[in-house]
Amino acid sequence: MSEGTSTTAAAGTLLGTSRRRRRVWGRAAGGAVPYVLIAPVVVVIGVVLGYPLYWLGKLSLEHYTLFELIRHAGTWVGLDNYRSVLSDQIFWHTLLRTVIFTAVNVGLTIVLGMLIALLLVRLSTWVRLLLTSGLVLVWSMPVVVAVQIFYWMTNFQNGVVNSILTKLHVGDFSQHDWYGTTFSQLGMVTLLIVWGALPFVVITLYAALAQVPRDLVEAAEVDGATSFGIFRDITLPIIKPILLILTSLSIIWDFGVFTQPYLLIGQSKITPNNFLMSIYLFEEGYFKSDYGRGAAISLLMVLMVGLLSIVYVRKMVRIGVSE
Amino acid sequence: MTRRRGRRVRQAGWDAVGLAVFVVMVFPVFWMISTAFKPDDQIVSLNPTWIPWRPTLSHFGAAIHKPYFWEDVKNSLIVVGITVAISIVLAFLAAVALARYGFSGRALFILMVIGIQMLPQAGLIIPLYVVLADYHKTNTLAGVVITYLTFVLPFCVWTLRGFLLGIPKELEEAAMVDGSTRLGVFLKILLPLMAPGLVATSVFAFITTWNEYIFARVLLNDQSKQTITVWLSYFYGSSRHTDWGALMAASTLTAIPVVVFFLLVQRRIAFGLTAGAVRG
Amino acid sequence: MKRRSITALCLATVVAAAVAATTSGATQKATASNLVVWLQVDAQSSWPDVVAAASQKFQADHPGTKVTVQYQNWGDHLQKFDATLAGGGGPDVIEMGNSEMIKYMAAGAFASLDKSSFDNNATWLGGLAKSGRYGGKTYGVPYYAGSRVVTYRTDLFKKAGITKLPATTAQYVADAAKLFKVDPTKGFSPLYIAGTDWYVAMGFVFDYGGGIATQVSGKWKGLLASRQSIAGLTAYKNFFAAVSRASKTTDEAHPNPYDVYAQGGAASMIGQSWFTCCVGAKYKADTAQFVMPGHLRGQALPGFQGGSDLAVPVTSGDKSLASDWIKDFTSTSSEKALQAKGNIPNATNLLGNSVNERAAARSWFVPSAKHWADVENGNILRNMLQQILTGKLSVKQAAQSASDNITSVLNQP
Repeated sequence: MSEGTSTTAAAGTLLGTSRRRRRVWGRAAGGAVPYVLIAPVVVVIGVVLGYPLYWLGKLSLEHYTLFELIRHAGTWVGLDNYRSVLSDQIFWHTLLRTVIFTAVNVGLTIVLGMLIALLLVRLSTWVRLLLTSGLVLVWSMPVVVAVQIFYWMTNFQNGVVNSILTKLHVGDFSQHDWYGTTFSQLGMVTLLIVWGALPFVVITLYAALAQVPRDLVEAAEVDGATSFGIFRDITLPIIKPILLILTSLSIIWDFGVFTQPYLLIGQSKITPNNFLMSIYLFEEGYFKSDYGRGAAISLLMVLMVGLLSIVYVRKMVRIGVSE
Repeated sequence: MTRRRGRRVRQAGWDAVGLAVFVVMVFPVFWMISTAFKPDDQIVSLNPTWIPWRPTLSHFGAAIHKPYFWEDVKNSLIVVGITVAISIVLAFLAAVALARYGFSGRALFILMVIGIQMLPQAGLIIPLYVVLADYHKTNTLAGVVITYLTFVLPFCVWTLRGFLLGIPKELEEAAMVDGSTRLGVFLKILLPLMAPGLVATSVFAFITTWNEYIFARVLLNDQSKQTITVWLSYFYGSSRHTDWGALMAASTLTAIPVVVFFLLVQRRIAFGLTAGAVRG
Repeated sequence: MKRRSITALCLATVVAAAVAATTSGATQKATASNLVVWLQVDAQSSWPDVVAAASQKFQADHPGTKVTVQYQNWGDHLQKFDATLAGGGGPDVIEMGNSEMIKYMAAGAFASLDKSSFDNNATWLGGLAKSGRYGGKTYGVPYYAGSRVVTYRTDLFKKAGITKLPATTAQYVADAAKLFKVDPTKGFSPLYIAGTDWYVAMGFVFDYGGGIATQVSGKWKGLLASRQSIAGLTAYKNFFAAVSRASKTTDEAHPNPYDVYAQGGAASMIGQSWFTCCVGAKYKADTAQFVMPGHLRGQALPGFQGGSDLAVPVTSGDKSLASDWIKDFTSTSSEKALQAKGNIPNATNLLGNSVNERAAARSWFVPSAKHWADVENGNILRNMLQQILTGKLSVKQAAQSASDNITSVLNQP
C-alpha cells in the first residue's frame, strides 16, 4: 500500500465534510503567485538562452562562416540558407532516414521497455532487485564510454559478439564487419541507443505498473479475462499518461541523438548515405564552419521534431487542463 | 499440490527469463569492468578472455595517477550537486505554477519548456560560450552550472508537473479548510507527497549532468577546473595509441558516483513515479 | 518541521556554494603577465619535459610572464578554438595539425609571424613549412613531423626465408606469398593495410606520378582521374589484394594495426614509427622497422607528411611574447629533444638517420586548398577506396567520380 493511497483515503473522508466549501485555489485564482513561481526558471533560461536563441535566428538569415565569425559580423542573405537547405536532396533523404530511425528506436524502446516492466512484476524479489540494479549500472555509464565498449565488443577483429555467435553456431561470424553497410551501421546504433534508453523507460513503467490495483486485475482473472485482455482494458488506460510522457520524450531525444551514431559509426565512415539529422547539422554547421546554414538546420530540426511529437505533446498538455 | 508446483515452475520460468534479460543488458558493463582488470595482452587478444584469471590493478593505478583525477572528481561533484539542487527547487516552483494555477502566458511557458528540449545542443555551443564570456564566466564552474541548469530545468519542470497533477487538489483544499496557510499546505502536504517524485527527477538530472561532456570541454580551460568527463577524454584524445586498460579502469571509476547516488535514493523512486504521474 | 529546516539549510548551502564557485576564478585572460599555450595531449603524455624546458627558458628571458600550458584533444580542439574566436579568451599559442592550418589561415584566424626570428627557418621541412604559409606570409611555425614506416616481425621474415628486405612493391608481393605459407591462419596479413587507409593509398598515387588536385590559374582541378593516378590506384588495389587481409571498408584506426600485430595477425604493418610502443610483450624483441619501398627500385613509397604547426591567433593579447615562446619551443635544442623522443624535427639540417627520418625524404601532402578539410570530412577519398577495393566500381569510375567531387568541393567560394 503506497503512502499516497492512504492519504487519498484520508482525504476522501475529509472531502465529505468540505464539499460545501468553494475551491480555495484553482485555475482561476492566483494573481501574481504563478508568475512569481515561474520567474526563476524563466529568468535563468531567458538570461542564458536568450542570446543564443536570438543568435541562431539571426545567423540563419546570414552568410556566416569562419571568416565572419572572426570578424563578428555576417552578411544578410534573407531566407537563402533555408532555401539552400530545403532544396538540398541530402536534407530530405536525411530527414526521411531520421524519421524512420526515430520510429524504430522509439518503438523498440517503448515496446521492449513495456515487456521488461511487465516481466519485472512477475519476478521473485531477488531477481527483480538484480535486474533493477543491473539496469541502473547500464544507466550510469557515460555515453562515450558505452560507445567505446560497444565498439570494442562488435569490432570485426576480436569482438566478443562475433566469437559468441560463432561459438553458438549461429553461423560463421568470425571477422564479420558489423559496420560495413548503412543498414548494419544504423542497426548497431539502434541497439546501442535502445540499450541505453531501456533503464529509464523500464524503471518508470514498472513504477507505473505497480499502481494498477491488484484487486481489479484479480477480479478480471476470475471472470476469465486473458492476460492480453487485462493488459488492454485495465493496465493500459491507467499507465497511459506515463506512456505518453515517455513516448514524446523518446521522440525528442532519438530524433536529435548525436553522440552515439557519430562516435560509433566514426567520422571516417560517415557519409551522406548514413547521415542522421544531428550529424547532418554537425557536418554542415561545424565541419564546414557554415554557421548560418547550421543555424537554419537547427531551427528546421526543432520544427520537424515538434511536428513529429505534436500529437503526444498536445495530449499531455490537455491532461492538466481537463481538471 | 499440483497447482502450487505449477506456480513454482512458472515462477522459475519467469525468473529464468529475468536472469537472461539481466545477462544481456549488463554484459557491456561487465565487459568494461573485466577489461579494467585484464593485463594488456588479454585485452587485445583475438580470443576474448571472459573472466580475468590474472587480474591486475595497474590500470586503476594508471587512471588514478593521471593528473588532476581527484580535483576533477571534486569539480564534477560540485557542479552536479549544485545543478541538481538548484534545478529541483526552481523546477518544482514552476511546476506548481503550471499544475495548480491558470494564468495568461501559461501556454507560452509550456511551449518554451518543451521547445528548449527540442533544440539541438550542437548549435548552441558557440553562442553560449559568447554569452558566458561576456559575463566572464568561461573557465568557471559557475558558468558550467548555469549552462547545465538551462538544459536540465525544462525536463525537470515537465516531469515534476506530471507528478503534481497526480496529487489530488482535494488534499490541499481539505488541509486549507482545516486552517493551514498556503505555505503550510505547501510544506506539510505537497512536499512529502512530492518527495519521491523529486528524488526520481533528481536522479535523472544527476546522471545527465554527470555524464555531460562537450559544454564542459569548451567552457573549462584549466585542468584543475575540469569535470571528470573531460578528464576521461584525455585517455582517448591523443593521436597516439589509446591505453584501453586505463580507459576502462577510468570509466569504471567515473561510473561509481552515479551508481552510489542511485543506490542511495532508489527506494523512493518506484514509489515516487507511482504516486504522481499515473493519476493524471 | 525537520524537513523545513533541512530545506532551508540546503537552499542556503546551495546559494553559498554558488557564490563561492562564482568568485573562485576568472577567465584565463592572455595578458602580458600570463601566456596561454594550447598543445595537444600527445605532448603531455610523451614529452612534457621538453615543454617544461621551453617554458623555463621563456620565463627566464621574460620575468614576470607566466606560461600556462593547456592540453587539448584532437577530436574537439577546433570546436573550442572556434568558440574562443567568437567570444575571446583564447590561447596565445595554438598547436594545429598541418592539414588544419589552411582553413584558418584563409579565414584570417592567425597573426602573421616574422619567419626569420625562428631557428633553422631556412631549412624547415618543405611540407610543414608550406602548411604554415598563406598569401606570401608565414602564419605557422613547423613544430614536428611524423612519417610512415613499415614495422615488421624479424622472426617471421626469417622463417619465410626472406633474406633481403623488399626493395620494391613487386618484391613485397613475392615475399607476402612466402609469409602466407608461414602462417596460413585465416585473416593473417603479411602486410596489414586497412582498406580505406588513404594515407597509404595516395602514396601509391604519388609514386606513379599522379596527384590529388592542382591549381590551374586560380581554379582547382582534381587529378585522380589522370592516367598516372589511375595507374597508382590500380597498383594499390592489386597490392592490397596480394598482401593484406584487413577489412576493405574499415579505416586505419578500427582496429589499430598494432593491435592486430600484437595478436599475431600480421607479419608487418605500415604506420607511424611509434607503433613499436604497442606491439605487445611477446613480439617486442622481434620487431624492427624499414622504409616502405615504392614500385621502382631505390625509391621509397611517398609517405604522408603528418605533423603539427604552432600559430598565434589574432585574438592573442601579446603576439610578440607568443612568438618568443614558439621560438623557444622550436629552438634547435628543443627540436633535438623532440627528435630524441622519436619525432621528426622540423628542419632538414637536423634530420638524423632513423628509419622514420629516412622515410620522410620522399613525402606527399594534401592540396593547400581552403576547402580541403571538407574533402577529408566528407570521406571522399575513403569512399573511393572502398568502392575500388570491394569492386563496386571500376578504378576508372571511382576515380573519376572522386575527382569530380573534389574539384567541386575545392572550388566552392
